Amino acid sequence: MNQDSPPSDHQALVPLAFIAPGTEVRLASLGKEIDPQQREQLTAYGLAENRPLTVLQQRPMTVILAEEVELALEHSVARHVWVRR
Amino acid sequence: MSGTSSLPGTFLLVGHPNVGKSVIFHRLTGAYVNVSNYPGTTVEVTRASARFDRESALLDTPGVLALPSRSDDERTTVRALLNEPTRALLQVGDAKNLRRTLTLTALLAELRIPLVLALNMHDEAAARGVTIDMAALADALGVPVEATVATDGQGVGTLAHHLSAARVPRRILQYDKAIDADIERVAEAISRHCPHPRLAARGLAILYLGGDDEVEAWLRHQAGAAYGEIEPLRRDALAQAGGDLPTLMARERTEAADVLATSVVSRSLKSSPLLSQRVGQAVVHPVWGLPILLAVLDLIYQFVGVFGATTLVGLLEEDLFEGVLNPAVTQFIEAVAPASWVTELLVGQYGLWTMGMTYALALILPIVTTFFLAFGVLEDSGYLPRLSVIANRLFALIGLNGRAVLPMVLGLGCVTMATLTTRILHSPRERLITTFLLALAIPCSAQLGVVLGMLGSLSFTAVLVWALAMVGILMLTGFLASRLIPGRRIPLVTELPPMRLPIFGNVLKKTAGRLKWYLVEVIPLFLVGTFLMFSLDKLGVLPAIIRAGEPLVSGWLGLPPEASAAFVMGFLRRDFGATGLFAMADRLSPIQAVVGMITITLFIPCFASLMMMVKEQGVKTAATMVALIVPFAFLVGGLFNIALRALW
Repeated sequence: MNQDSPPSDHQALVPLAFIAPGTEVRLASLGKEIDPQQREQLTAYGLAENRPLTVLQQRPMTVILAEEVELALEHSVARHVWVRR
Repeated sequence: MSGTSSLPGTFLLVGHPNVGKSVIFHRLTGAYVNVSNYPGTTVEVTRASARFDRESALLDTPGVLALPSRSDDERTTVRALLNEPTRALLQVGDAKNLRRTLTLTALLAELRIPLVLALNMHDEAAARGVTIDMAALADALGVPVEATVATDGQGVGTLAHHLSAARVPRRILQYDKAIDADIERVAEAISRHCPHPRLAARGLAILYLGGDDEVEAWLRHQAGAAYGEIEPLRRDALAQAGGDLPTLMARERTEAADVLATSVVSRSLKSSPLLSQRVGQAVVHPVWGLPILLAVLDLIYQFVGVFGATTLVGLLEEDLFEGVLNPAVTQFIEAVAPASWVTELLVGQYGLWTMGMTYALALILPIVTTFFLAFGVLEDSGYLPRLSVIANRLFALIGLNGRAVLPMVLGLGCVTMATLTTRILHSPRERLITTFLLALAIPCSAQLGVVLGMLGSLSFTAVLVWALAMVGILMLTGFLASRLIPGRRIPLVTELPPMRLPIFGNVLKKTAGRLKWYLVEVIPLFLVGTFLMFSLDKLGVLPAIIRAGEPLVSGWLGLPPEASAAFVMGFLRRDFGATGLFAMADRLSPIQAVVGMITITLFIPCFASLMMMVKEQGVKTAATMVALIVPFAFLVGGLFNIALRALW
């Protein structure tokens, strides 16, 4: 997974924090601004390249559904999670 | 290592957090460990002999999000893997999320230990339209795979049978050529210098290259001087990797797990979200989340504050103890006691029965019982992790994230237990701040009950002033601590487990376990405390302490001199001290009651919690906290005395 942020094809990519609730997207990359340990944590939760995820809500935190698992991410993290519509 | 497990030893339960390991452990051993619907309930390993094989032990380990280990929980599990005479692993996984489960299997398979895979919460997976071809998965892994619903025992009986026939799993991935060569080089060095009696050198090499501290410490210790030959191999591997090596390896495991999961999972389309999903989303909804939280808090208050602290305490203390038991016990003791001091020791003003047991059983027990029942329901419902989402912004102000809400809320039940639970927090800084705030400003349920009982009978304003003071002090000291303690705040990333209807039997078992722990801790301390008070009184020391404390207690805090006795009691347990103030409530004005309660709430919770602070943070840090907290309690109490007299 490309860990540079913003990724090279950033025009096609959007930060997870800016996706409207109810939208299904695919994960593109986890930005290097995210703490390495937290990046590993996100990968362990199943956020891997090209995996589909659905945004459930954006406030007070970003909540997503990935593989039947609901995850809540603070905006400071969700801003650096790059997704493809 | 042989292909099947055949020797006596330990069965290790491993798996991700909140997948039901502890329920399976209970079913396989009969031993009860706390089970909840939030990640991180198990913070230490628990051992019990297996029902199906009394020669062998079963070990419940804390959940691991991933291996190589990064958190304390993960390190605990790796230590168990390194040090236990493991006969077989029982990996428990969430059937809803096979990919994640298999990512861990991919690593465990490299350790070459017999394994059985239990795919738990099979019912929830089915409700979401997820079907797993168990036979195909068992075939691919070469180990027994069982679908289970641990809460009702489904499939658990078969697990015992499988465990005796556990087999070493097949590897499910081949790492990239260059990485594989690095792994083999390190594995060869480990085999040469410090082979592990059970774990394959290749598995240890993968953990070591992935940055596992526990494995590194083990290798250092076992290899001795030869470690100097192993370390350069890792350095070279890290330097040569075309990126961060641990991440690259983790990604390869994830991809391999993905391929295998895709081949055995099928999904049917769901018409609409499940009710539990809708409820789960409503409680963290930007509009509905807060009203739901207020309703939940009100329900807890009605149950613990009104029913427990008022109705039940009234029935027990006034009707049963004061009305029936204490007169009868007093009459009996007076009739049989050989000397008057014995009568006083047992049923006098500082009597072991009239003070110690009455406080512990009539005042504290009903409040603690109702709190733990309410907390158990909250835990099992899955509401607490969602509460961390709602509270996250508030906790950001004090340098923490919403995850700290779990120890904080548990602290309202028992600060000692909560101090242990700070282990679920990810950084030492978060644990330090949370431990300090727990010790300073979170009243345990016993104390909360006494405070509500005393101030609630005065006026709502008194309760409000006390509550606002506590929240204000919590926020202010948290804010200052977060700025003084070096390090940065970790943003919240958390899993939200499904909302579930709590199982009443589990809530009762958990409450009984907590009450037992609590009473074993409380009753001896209350009796020791009462005996201390009696002795101080008889030796004439108590009046001297009261006189010595007069400038502080009467002058600065504006309380009657006898309140000094309550503060002496407060050093043992702050709820004991609060109960002492409660006992003299008729001699206190509303301002005195509020000032007294604020001061005593800010004390160190109790001796047991102090011991826990020492265990978790070390003697130096715990001593520093005590040295800060006690003078701070009197300082704040005095400031409130001045402010309230001027304003109220």
